[in-house]
Amino acid sequence: MNLFNIIFTGSEQALAAAKGMLSEAIEKNGREHKVAFPDTAYSLPCIYAATGQKMNTLADLEGALGVVESLINRTHLLEHGLNAGLATALAAEVIEALKYSTMEEPYTAPCAGHVGDPLIRSLGVPLVTGDIPGVAVVLGECPDSETAAKIIKDYQSKGLLTCLVGKVIDQAIEQDVKMGAELRVIPLGYDVTSVIHVVSIAIRAALIFGGLTPGDLPGLLEYTAKRVPAFVNAFGPLSELVVSAGAGAIALGFPVITDQTVLEVPMNLLTQRDYDKVVATSLEARGIKIKITEIPIPVAFAAAFEGERIRKAD
Amino acid sequence: MDKKMLTIDLNSHVLLDKAERDGVETIYDRKLGFKAQCGFGLQGSCCRICGMGPCRITPKTPRGLCGADEHTIVGRNFARMVAGGTAAHSDHARDIAHTLLLSSRDGNYQVKDEAKLIALAKDWDVETEDRDIYDIAHEVAEIALMEFGKPFGVSRFLKSAPVQRQQVWKDANIEPRAIDREIATIMHSTHVGCTADIDSLIHLSLRTSLSDGWCGSMMGTRLSDILFGTPTPRETEANLGVLEQNKVNIILHGHEPSLSEMIVLASEDPELVALAKEQGADGINLAGMCCTGNEVTMRHGVRIAGDFHQQELAIITGAVEAMIVDVQCIFPALARVADCYHTKFITTSPKAKITGSTYIEFKEEEAFDNAKQIVREAILNFKNRDKSKVLIPELKSTGTVGYSVEAVVGQLDRVVNSHIDPAGTVKPLVDCLTSGVLRGAAGVVGCNNARVVSNESHITVIKELIKNDIIVVATGCAAQAAAKFGLMDKSARKYAGKGLATVCELVDIPPVLHLGSCVDISRILDVVSACAKFADMDMCDLPVVGVAPEWMSEKAVAIGTYVVASGIDTYLGIMPPVGGSAKTVQILTEGLKDIVGATFTVNENPQELAATIISDIEKKRVHFEALLEEKMSAPAEA
Repeated sequence: MNLFNIIFTGSEQALAAAKGMLSEAIEKNGREHKVAFPDTAYSLPCIYAATGQKMNTLADLEGALGVVESLINRTHLLEHGLNAGLATALAAEVIEALKYSTMEEPYTAPCAGHVGDPLIRSLGVPLVTGDIPGVAVVLGECPDSETAAKIIKDYQSKGLLTCLVGKVIDQAIEQDVKMGAELRVIPLGYDVTSVIHVVSIAIRAALIFGGLTPGDLPGLLEYTAKRVPAFVNAFGPLSELVVSAGAGAIALGFPVITDQTVLEVPMNLLTQRDYDKVVATSLEARGIKIKITEIPIPVAFAAAFEGERIRKAD
Repeated sequence: MDKKMLTIDLNSHVLLDKAERDGVETIYDRKLGFKAQCGFGLQGSCCRICGMGPCRITPKTPRGLCGADEHTIVGRNFARMVAGGTAAHSDHARDIAHTLLLSSRDGNYQVKDEAKLIALAKDWDVETEDRDIYDIAHEVAEIALMEFGKPFGVSRFLKSAPVQRQQVWKDANIEPRAIDREIATIMHSTHVGCTADIDSLIHLSLRTSLSDGWCGSMMGTRLSDILFGTPTPRETEANLGVLEQNKVNIILHGHEPSLSEMIVLASEDPELVALAKEQGADGINLAGMCCTGNEVTMRHGVRIAGDFHQQELAIITGAVEAMIVDVQCIFPALARVADCYHTKFITTSPKAKITGSTYIEFKEEEAFDNAKQIVREAILNFKNRDKSKVLIPELKSTGTVGYSVEAVVGQLDRVVNSHIDPAGTVKPLVDCLTSGVLRGAAGVVGCNNARVVSNESHITVIKELIKNDIIVVATGCAAQAAAKFGLMDKSARKYAGKGLATVCELVDIPPVLHLGSCVDISRILDVVSACAKFADMDMCDLPVVGVAPEWMSEKAVAIGTYVVASGIDTYLGIMPPVGGSAKTVQILTEGLKDIVGATFTVNENPQELAATIISDIEKKRVHFEALLEEKMSAPAEA
């Protein structure tokens, strides 16, 4: 087991998948076919932030994949491992953009898919004030839905914004976890690549609130590492693609906490097998401190429930 | 050739010009004076151990008078170097053990690190419950002293190695017994008409060297920590720029901390500080050189004046009131250099008297009084300083030093997630190595050697290694070179690769860690051993190397040999005098792999040496990662 080889393999898989989808899309729609995410002024936000280039057509994406390819260098040094992780993230954004470019309705309820600028602007203030103390990205599948719900509700009660990717969405639904942007639990999608939509949130936060210049990659990575208190919980077996995406998260400064046996990297890639401790482990790893004033009331109390609607049936 | 081409230290350049103006000879002049050195000596094929010789091996005279061939002659010379080095380290340790025996609650020497003493006592089966700490100290000291000449058994420290390594030593029959016995055995076996078998001579060398690393040096370090405190991270400065215009400059040079610790105390004595002011100085400025300098910088942050090759240059500044020395690596030339200035060259040890020096014997029994007397001599000498002859070069660098094993573990605790792992282990370091964030670790140690440009090999090798995410720990004059060139400053992480730089930032350390003096290489053994045990591997399985880019002393030969015998591949920047025997070269560079799992590699070009180390570490990682995978998948199957 060589962590770097796993990352590089995952990045190459992501690149190959993106290339395949792109050439298929070009064949069907031509190279001048339009590419865009809805409700954003930042084109494909990750690619825009990293390269300073706006993507308008499928032809532009060909160029973007060239950048992705150049980020993959199989030398076993952390620098190249992190770059490969970023490559996976950019390839994922290409794949997701292709979904929006070629499909009528790529995401349907409960999945949110791409998150529009207005929501990021509304989340931005509470993120800056610390009202939202962190962003949890929960992906994969927990051993059982009770565990999944317990962890998600714990984050919710602490006021964190939680984004769900993969089967954990179904597990949350099964346990009746109340979801929605106003409740700070956003199911993104079932494909691993849909995790890019939360990365896109972090990156647009840097562009909108950090005033970063698109194309200033080191500045971007410093901003996300210092100012966006995000982390990843990856549950269940980890494919090369997921590990590679995890390297992308680490490049942005977001630690990854998993329940799987991995080669741990202090502060960045940690194994926590005790599900009762996942939340505390994650908060400590990201340096998130939550001021708690416990009020002894019989229901959960947190800012996350402010937008909750009480339906007639309830 | 310009002698300024012989060092890359810019302070040294300034002072070499001054030496020329002052008409003072330095090592660099002597180096140029020697022109070509004798090829027989360089190859190790010259023998003068009996009255029939000297003999030398040539194609026409393939044997000495006794019939010894080139392998026997080279092997005997090599073994005697190992014995010389082991003797030096071990006699140092013996003095420290004696000092521990003298320690008392209200005496000059006290037990500073009780926990470390108790841990050692428990290791050595000394009763610790309900006992006075000094009774424990004295019993431990007596056991330590017995390690030098006990008639039965093997070194007590061996059992602190990973069990796999202990088995290697047992199988190869190189477990060191008593230190003095191993040294005496080499002197016996290399006498005329004794051992004439190269395998056997190397075998003797391995065993004797282990009695240094895993006994003498290890004892020196442990007992020094017990007596003077285990080092903790602290700031310091390095290079000759630490000398001060308006203070009494005292340089501590040599090795044993029992003297230097007392001098540190004496230099802070209010009565002596007042005396310094009376003499017109602003105070007393203590600075260290070589390993005694390392000892006091590790424990007190005393600034580092310079390394082995700068000892004469320090006096040539004209600003040194006293150069206080004890034993080992002290140029006898200092007596002549000091004669050209007001500097008092004070020798203190009956083991190292030097003609032309002022001898003030230092006795542990009256240590503080002796130290005060020595410092007073220095202070009273301030008035003799000739201001017109003073030139203190400007350069000095800042750095953080004091990384004992305990301090390293303490720093690692910063990155432990309290919900996953307990504090106080080497797990974070092992994780960085296993995940590949750090590609490996290198202990860069050793001397300065006039056969290469001073400091160039140290700095080139260290910079290349850290650039490639290989963390460097350093001791001795290699550490002083790193400190002088700013590589021990936390800001030096800018020279490191992304992996090492990230580790340095998270753990809050410089990319090159100062682990102490030459006996403190035992700290490196301790760290590697702890990591190997944590990963349940042998020391030879880890991507870890030892490097001596500019080695010169017999101590370095003993060190390199015990590092290899401990399973750590060792890289030399100077060819040892073994080239005259193809068999010796074969054993040292290949054959040892089968016996102890590690070998020597030599390359006198520092760039090439670094490149070889980096590629060898990557090769070693393949084995390391395969072993790791085996261990990680094992519990799943069970």
